[in-house]
Amino acid sequence: MSDRWERNIPVYDVPIWTRPFQALLVLGALALGLVTYREIAGLGPASGMNDAYAWGIWKTFNIMVLTGLGSGGFAVGIAAWLFNRKRLHTVMRTALLTSFLAYASGLILLGIDVGRPWNFYWVLMPWKWNAHSPLLEVAVCMPAYAMFPLLLENFPPLFDWIHDKRPRFRARVEKAEKIMTRFYPWVVALAYLLPAMHQSSLGALMLLAGEKVHPLWQTPLLPLFYVWAAAYMGFACVAGSLLFCSLVWHRAVDLDVIAEMNKITANLIGYWLLLRFADIAVSRKLGLMFQANIYSGLFWMETIFLVVAVIMLVDSGRRRDAQLMFHGYLAAAFGGMLYRFDPTTLAFQPRPGAFYFPSAVEILISVGFVALAIAAFVAAAKAWAILPGPMRLWKSTEIKTQDEKAPVGKISSYAPAGE
Amino acid sequence: MAITRRDALRKLVAGTASVAAASAVATVPLSTRAQAEEGPTVPPAAVGMLYDTTRCIGCQTCVVACAEANKLPPDTRLDNIHFAPADLSSFSKNIIKLYKPADGKTYSYVKQQCMHCLDPACVAGCMFKGLKKDPKTGVVGWTANLCVGCRYCEISCPYHVPKFQWEGFNPKIVKCEFCKERLAVGQQPACTTVCPTHAVIFGSREQLLAEAKTRIRQNPGKYFEDRVYGEAEGGGTQVLYLSHVPFGDLGLPKLPGESIPQKYLKWQKRVYSYLALPVVLYVAMVGVINGNFKKHKEHMKEEEENTGLRAQL
Repeated sequence: MSDRWERNIPVYDVPIWTRPFQALLVLGALALGLVTYREIAGLGPASGMNDAYAWGIWKTFNIMVLTGLGSGGFAVGIAAWLFNRKRLHTVMRTALLTSFLAYASGLILLGIDVGRPWNFYWVLMPWKWNAHSPLLEVAVCMPAYAMFPLLLENFPPLFDWIHDKRPRFRARVEKAEKIMTRFYPWVVALAYLLPAMHQSSLGALMLLAGEKVHPLWQTPLLPLFYVWAAAYMGFACVAGSLLFCSLVWHRAVDLDVIAEMNKITANLIGYWLLLRFADIAVSRKLGLMFQANIYSGLFWMETIFLVVAVIMLVDSGRRRDAQLMFHGYLAAAFGGMLYRFDPTTLAFQPRPGAFYFPSAVEILISVGFVALAIAAFVAAAKAWAILPGPMRLWKSTEIKTQDEKAPVGKISSYAPAGE
Repeated sequence: MAITRRDALRKLVAGTASVAAASAVATVPLSTRAQAEEGPTVPPAAVGMLYDTTRCIGCQTCVVACAEANKLPPDTRLDNIHFAPADLSSFSKNIIKLYKPADGKTYSYVKQQCMHCLDPACVAGCMFKGLKKDPKTGVVGWTANLCVGCRYCEISCPYHVPKFQWEGFNPKIVKCEFCKERLAVGQQPACTTVCPTHAVIFGSREQLLAEAKTRIRQNPGKYFEDRVYGEAEGGGTQVLYLSHVPFGDLGLPKLPGESIPQKYLKWQKRVYSYLALPVVLYVAMVGVINGNFKKHKEHMKEEEENTGLRAQL
C-alpha cells in the first residue's frame, strides 16, 4: 500500500461537532464577548498597552508572528509554481487554507486593535496615501492579498464541494472554474508579489523605531530578514500541520513530500542564519552577542532553535523519521516566531522604566482568534478536500447527472474495501 | 521539456536585471535632488521655540497656559487634588520636569513638548497623513478624520511625544501642535506668551538659532558643549534647547545628524520608487508561472483520464 499523496481528500467519517471543536468555539465566543468590552471601555482598560509600548500582542503576535506562520501559501506556492517543485502541489490546499485563516483572523483583530478604525476607508483612495510609509504598504497589501488572490486560490476546494454535492450548480461552477483557470497565473503571481511586499514591510515597520530596537535586531536588512523568515515559517507551518493532522486523524504521510520540504526549509534557515551572522559581523556588533543580558539570551535562543531545526530536518529527511521531522518543524517555527516577535516587544526598549505585559483580556482575545482559525481549519479539512492523501482513501460521493458518461468502473476500483 | 528550476531561475534573474536597470533610471532624479541626500529642508516660514534651562525657574506657568489654551482636562491622577502631570500624556501636551542628580550639585528644569522635527519619523510612518508637517510653518499637526489610531507615531517618535487616549471608544492622538489655531490668528503659542523669565521664547527657527548662538558666544562655557540641541539632531528640529547640564540628563536623546526616515527608509524608498521593481517582478513571475501552469494543466488532464475523477486544482 502506497502512502503517496495523490489527491486532496476530506477527512471522512469523523464528526465535526466534537468536544475539542466545541472548546475552540467557546474560546472564540469568549473573545468576541471581550471585544465588545474593548470597544466600549477603550484600549487602556482592556489591554496592558501604554504610551511607551503602544503596540501589544494583537499586532506583535497575531500579525507579526502569525502571518509569518501563515506564509505557507506564499512560500510553498513559490516553490511549487515558480521553482517547479511538482510534488508540492499536493500540499498547496493545506498551505493556502492555513494562510487564509492566519491572515483573516489577524486582519480582523487588527481592526479591533486600532483606535479609530472608521477612518480606514481612506485606504481606498490612493491620493490620500502617504506612499513612503511602510505601514501604509502593509495596510494596502495585506488586506488586498487576503481578500483577492489568497481568497481566490482557496476557491477550488469549495468548487469541488459544490460540484460534488449540489449538482444544480454544476454548470455554473464549471463556468467559474473556466474563468478562473484563464487568469490563474496572474492571480498566483499576485499572491507572491503582495506577500513579498508586505511581509518585508512588516520588518520595515520597526526601522522607523530606530534605536528603540536593540542593535542585534535593528538593521537595514530587517525587511529582508522578515520576509525570509516568513518563508521558512510558512514551510514549517504547512509541514507541521500536515504531520499533526496525519497523526490525529490517522492519515497516511507521504514522507517523500515532507522530506522535500525538509530540504527546502533547512536551506532557507541555513542561509538566513548565515546572512544574519554576516550582517551582525559587518556592522561590528559581534560583541553584543556575548554580553550577559536578556538580549544576548534572546538572540541565542532564536539561533539555537533554528540550528537545532536545521539539524533535525536534515537528519529526519535522510532517515524518513516522521516524528523527528515534526520536532524539527516545531523548532523552526519557534525560532522564526521568536525572531519576528523580539524586535517588536522583547528587544524593543522604548525608554527606561517602560513595561508591558499583556492583560488577561488581551491574551484571551488573541487566543480566541487563533482558536477560531483552528476551528475553521478543522471543519474545512473534514468537509472539503483539503488534506492530501493516497488515492485509496478517496470515496466518491458524486451524484451523476444522466447525460454524463463518467467512467464509473474506474472510480469504484479506487473506493476503499467494503464500499 | 519541462521547465527546470534552472530555467525558472534564469528567467527570474533576467527579469531582475532589467528591473535593476529600470530602477537605476528611476533613482537618477532622486539622487540629483540634492536636498533628499543632504538633509531635510527648513520650511520657508519655519516657526520655532528656544528653551534655555539657565533661565527656567520651574514655575509651570507654561504648563497651565498650555492646558488652558488647548482645553485639556487637568491631570490630577497623582493624588486626585493637584494639577501635577508626571509626564506627557493624553492630558498634557507640555510639561516641566526637574532633573536633580543624587549628588545634589547641578539641577535643571526641562520643558518637554513636541520638537517639530524637520523630517519627523511620526509623519513618515503615518498612513493617511493624519500627522502632517505644515509646508509653510513646519508645525506637525494632527487631523482627527485621517487618523486610524494605529499608534505607529508612538512607536517611531524618538522623543516619546505623541500620546494616545487609552480610555473610551473615540480615542485621539494628543501632542503639542504649536498652538496652530493661535498661530493662525497671529498669536504666539500659549507657553511662550506667559513665561515670566523668557526661558522659552517664540520666533522663526532662523532667528532663534542665531539668538542661541549669540548667547553661547557671549557666555563661553556656560552651555553644555557650547551647542544648540535641535540644530542637527535627527536632521534638525524646530524647537531648540540650550542647557547647562548634559542634554542626555534632560531626556534629550543622542541622535545622528541624519533624520530617522532618511537613515532607515532609504532602501525602502528605492525599492518602491515608481513601483518599477514590483511591476517588473510581477510580469516576470507571471511569465514563469504561465509556462508551468500549462504543463500542470496537461498533467491534470492525464490524471483525470487515469483516475476517472475530476481533476483538482
